[in-house]
Amino acid sequence: MLKQPGKRYKKWIIALFVLLVAGGAAIWYLFSLKYDDTATVKADFTVQAVDFIKEFKQDMNVANKKYSEKIIVVNGTVSAIEMADTTVNIKMVDTTNGAYIIFAFQQQHLNEAKTMREGEAVSIKGSCSNGAFSSILEAEYITFKRCAVNK
Amino acid sequence: MKKTILSVALVMATGLLFAQKKTTTSATVAFDATTAIDALPKAQNKTVIASLDTKSGTLAFEAAIKSFTFSNPKIQEHFNGKGWMDSDQFATATFKGSIANLKDVKFNKDGEYAVTVNGDLTIHGVTKPAEAKGTITVAGKSIKTTSDFSIKLEDYNVNGGAIAAGKVSKEPKISVVAEF
Repeated sequence: MLKQPGKRYKKWIIALFVLLVAGGAAIWYLFSLKYDDTATVKADFTVQAVDFIKEFKQDMNVANKKYSEKIIVVNGTVSAIEMADTTVNIKMVDTTNGAYIIFAFQQQHLNEAKTMREGEAVSIKGSCSNGAFSSILEAEYITFKRCAVNK
Repeated sequence: MKKTILSVALVMATGLLFAQKKTTTSATVAFDATTAIDALPKAQNKTVIASLDTKSGTLAFEAAIKSFTFSNPKIQEHFNGKGWMDSDQFATATFKGSIANLKDVKFNKDGEYAVTVNGDLTIHGVTKPAEAKGTITVAGKSIKTTSDFSIKLEDYNVNGGAIAAGKVSKEPKISVVAEF
């Protein structure tokens, strides 16, 4: 007679334990998530730099909806290499209007950016943040993060 | 006469060299909103646009919110989402201001100068007056500006549940570095 309540409690304790372990595993999984190496991620789009800038200039909202947070391969010519502290950014500029694309590299790919040269034709893969108009520069710009050389 | 013309030309050339508005598209803004129970909410944006007018002392920054990079994809998603930075609606954070003690800074002389900057900081569509201490380092043709300060998230209507839960600092530390 006394064994019945004990068995019930045992079931509850096991269920609680399973829930705690599952919850803990889910939290651990979410907290330990990391971005993949962009070099290994499949691109959603491949574009030419000049055409890409044109698309943003034509309709910023439409272009942002299409490309924001997507992995994109951009083919173009390096206009500038901007080094500051630990940062190396690559820029592709449309010289007719000052609009530009800027690529910030993933930590493990910083050295690839350092070896690029102005005027060099390159292919860069990265996560497109978005495009916007700069009131400081009075030009459109498109920013990329977590970039790598597309091989 | 020739000497006078040469002197005037030199003064004008020097003036042009040091009075122009300098810009960069690779300034860095980092923030650290970590707490004792969560070390993840910190990020860096390395493609910030900045300008410095060495004559008037005006300073401006534009940071695309989606360019802040976190190590954890979930945190980045929350940061940009509704209830936090709403980055689809409020795509950029901006600062427009000026150096209060401009006369203390010699842009034509190498050195490190302590400055105070006053201006308007716009985050999440809310504009508030802001003041920050900083340093300007002049080394040859290079001018480097740095500043560390903190903001109150509630001042900018950023009130996510994680703040109340102690997972995100109410007053994140902000670091700004711009090299011109």
